[in-house]
Amino acid sequence: MKITHYFILILLCWSCSSESGDADTIATDDSPMTVTNPLLDFTVPSNFPDATYSIIQNPPTEKGFELGKKLFYDGQLASDGVVSCGFCHIQSFAFTHHTHITSHGVDGQIGTRNAQPLHNLAFMNEFTWDGAATFLDTQPIIPITAEVEMNETVSNVIAKLNADDDYPTLFAEAFGSEGVSADRMFKALSQFMVMMVSANSKYDKLERGEAVTFTDEENAGRAVFDTKCASCHAGTLQTDQSYRNNGLPVDPEFNDIGRERVTGLPSDNRKFKVPSLRNIEITFPYMHDGRLGTLEDVLDFYTDGMEDSPTLDDQFRRPDGTLGLDITPEEKVQLIAFLKTLTDNDFIEDRRFAEF
Amino acid sequence: MRKYVALLVGFATLLTACNNNDEPGSIVQDPGSLNLTFENVVIGTSISMNPTSYTNSSNETYTISELKYIISNITLIKSDNTEYIYPVEDSYFLINEDGSKTASLSDIPADTYKGIKFGFGVDPTKYPIESGTLNFIPLAEEAGMLWSWSAGYKFLKFEGNYSSATDPTNETPFRYHVGSHGANLDNYKEITLTLNEFQISSENTASKTIQFDIAKIFDAIHTLSLEEKDDIQVDPVNAPKIAENISTAFSISE
Repeated sequence: MKITHYFILILLCWSCSSESGDADTIATDDSPMTVTNPLLDFTVPSNFPDATYSIIQNPPTEKGFELGKKLFYDGQLASDGVVSCGFCHIQSFAFTHHTHITSHGVDGQIGTRNAQPLHNLAFMNEFTWDGAATFLDTQPIIPITAEVEMNETVSNVIAKLNADDDYPTLFAEAFGSEGVSADRMFKALSQFMVMMVSANSKYDKLERGEAVTFTDEENAGRAVFDTKCASCHAGTLQTDQSYRNNGLPVDPEFNDIGRERVTGLPSDNRKFKVPSLRNIEITFPYMHDGRLGTLEDVLDFYTDGMEDSPTLDDQFRRPDGTLGLDITPEEKVQLIAFLKTLTDNDFIEDRRFAEF
Repeated sequence: MRKYVALLVGFATLLTACNNNDEPGSIVQDPGSLNLTFENVVIGTSISMNPTSYTNSSNETYTISELKYIISNITLIKSDNTEYIYPVEDSYFLINEDGSKTASLSDIPADTYKGIKFGFGVDPTKYPIESGTLNFIPLAEEAGMLWSWSAGYKFLKFEGNYSSATDPTNETPFRYHVGSHGANLDNYKEITLTLNEFQISSENTASKTIQFDIAKIFDAIHTLSLEEKDDIQVDPVNAPKIAENISTAFSISE
């Protein structure tokens, strides 16, 4: 009976979709394909805010998720047939890359920014370090087409998928009718990515009142965090999703202008997205260009490493005119203990997202 | 089982509701086609690419090497003021002075029409939700209508060379790329044009020409001087001015 419900639900979802005509076919054709493609259960953790991604408009299904996963790990999305999404986004590092500071693309080309972790994407307003993608569905356009990343065209990717032995069938199974298209490819990738919810860290369990307790050090670290970090790293996801200049000195090799590249506004010069700190212990190196290798380096930077510029966030200006946050060495140790409570081992070991 | 039947009936009703584009009571005729051709002009005369030159209101002489723009979301207005919305997923067109300048629309309900609405660029409220906005990416990409570092469209790509009145021998390249700037700013414009009443039917494929006046890119609501700024790409000050100018640059040629 449950499967019947799914079947009807899927039919309803399609009935008003833009692909008119398909609906008729599906309605009259008792295809077993739709019966075996149940909707996946996307549940917002009780300590999380509402999802920003419109699950209703692109509800993850079993087949859509599997297709998205295959695409995510498929080098065909790159010009060299090797550099897949998963090449730089490795699950055991919360979908980041460790061995490079900035990301490496096809032909050994080197990018200018550090691969961001992929988790809780269904709760983010914008994507990439500068917010150049305003929807999860459009984000993959950037790495696919960037010369220093996958250096491919969407047209070529679609042609390759069409010529593939498996993809045409997988697209039909996932979306209920024949057709490999850009829209479907991006929606399948999103179906895979929105399911990547990391909400089972010690921190989460404590927030939800499950049977865990923080050590004294973790509790002390949390208190420091709440007074000195949480104005930007706000809320359960530890980000207010704003763009800020945190005083990182400009690296002349990249001369990265940050969010100004997206908005053209000089007031956005050197501003980057405040990152979520979930799984921060395992997503090194840190900062938009990966210049800092350890959490200790990050905290030392925040107390002693800032460079002034017109767009520097005012929170980093001390009354005496110097720059930085006041965090004692003892507090740094406590903070790091707290930050490690944000590591979610269930997420990085979750077989649903694993390449093999 | 009863619940199952009830749901199926509900589904069938929805299907009917979605497919019903016909006017109640009207005699159903076979649908027809409309070819919309965009003619790029300078003050009423069809343009030629480089080396033909034109002069803008700032007395700057320019040649055109590339002119492309995106037209979308076409709606036809019937003589009774009701509207026929062309299927959104099929309504994205790239107009290229060096390529296709015609948007061929088919399967349009037979009726008398008197107006047309369309978008310049890609509507941010529909991007990327409606399938057409993403399925247009391969074509736009081949035409260089995507930003290289961002996930949005360029709505206009207008490039060439210019020289100023004060230094007429010095040719300098100019580049106007107007599009969306992340979620921060969008330059999508909706344009409505009124036509003389015309019929669309299965026996009568209609053809209409819409003129796009290039001179108005530089001078309409706002005046833009190339000498002041010849490279406008992600420019939160000047790109909206160009988009506003463009919103006045389309007219029907009948």
